[in-house]
Amino acid sequence: MKVIEKKLVFLVCFFMFVIEGFAEKCELYDEIPAQGSISEKQGHEYWAKIYEVFSHPRCTNCHVGADNIPMWSGPSYGVTRPHGMNVSAPVIGAHGTRGGSDSFECSSCHTTTNNTIAHGAPGVYNEDMDGEKVSWVLPPVDFEWFGKTSKEVCEQVKDSKRNGGKENAKEIADHLCHDKFIAWSWKPGAGRESAPYSLKENIADVLAWGAAGMPCPEY
Amino acid sequence: MADYVEINVNGVRHRLDIRHKRTPLLWILRDELKLTGTKYGCGIAQCGACTVHINGLSRRSCVTEVGELTEDDKVITIEAADSTIAKAVKESWVQHQVAQCGYCQSGQIMSATALLSKNKNPTDDDIDRVMSGNLCRCGTYPLIRKAIKTAAKSLTEANNG
Repeated sequence: MKVIEKKLVFLVCFFMFVIEGFAEKCELYDEIPAQGSISEKQGHEYWAKIYEVFSHPRCTNCHVGADNIPMWSGPSYGVTRPHGMNVSAPVIGAHGTRGGSDSFECSSCHTTTNNTIAHGAPGVYNEDMDGEKVSWVLPPVDFEWFGKTSKEVCEQVKDSKRNGGKENAKEIADHLCHDKFIAWSWKPGAGRESAPYSLKENIADVLAWGAAGMPCPEY
Repeated sequence: MADYVEINVNGVRHRLDIRHKRTPLLWILRDELKLTGTKYGCGIAQCGACTVHINGLSRRSCVTEVGELTEDDKVITIEAADSTIAKAVKESWVQHQVAQCGYCQSGQIMSATALLSKNKNPTDDDIDRVMSGNLCRCGTYPLIRKAIKTAAKSLTEANNG
């Protein structure tokens, strides 16, 4: 091997080591179940639990469709209705997120700290993978869950073209682990009902569902 | 770690004790800086009376903790809202005699100014979408809408010379 090739190999290995070293490890799981170690039947049971979480108002109120209007639903609200104040959150901003309209962004009220008073606007400090602050936004329209069946949500979650490019259950689990908006669902405060189970259990369920081959229900 | 928080309000830097880190900006504006034009309404970002601009965008100062702001964030309150757009909005407000009791009006004017800085010719829907977060118990909404359109028209005419 020529000297220049050796140097190139060394550099590639070095940068891979650096990237791996800096990659933020998820503290909420240790081991990933081996592929095929969980039966399809068990996989369906794990998905049923995952759907319980994903269809909970703490998730679905912001996982809305192309009208860009978040919802107010769940025990705190009584009647299901669109978010008050006539808000709408089309795609705006440099990152192309659904973050509000014109001069009235979601973060006008949803700040980086959680409002602990009932019916106060909740908030959370969140960062993207580059450490940049992320304001309160709706998830991409592809992630529409509000009113969707278990089958529809399941097929979206495992489709890398519609789930933000996540190729497997580990990547989905890592996303669940690192996104502070998601973690907020289990610590919503102010008498808001939290999502069922725990974030740690939800991540474990996703990994187990992945090991079972990501089976989806018939409806 | 610094034992103070520095904020920039109306172009003036203020150094606050670190104990204010979790104090809502509205409290600092009114109680410490004596800028009482910004009003306390609900305290939970439901009414819009406390609206200020942070870097040109509407923010509810009652739920914005001082520690969230950096030294580079520029807070503008109604007292210093003197841009061309803000002046046009204020003049239009007077022309249409929008205010009745007036309590919510500083928040309304700040939201209207932010709207016109992003949208030079807002439709009724645009106005409703941005202004619905500012409540008015006197029900001055039709006058607010007229005043915003008048301000937009005067700004367009001024720009066209």
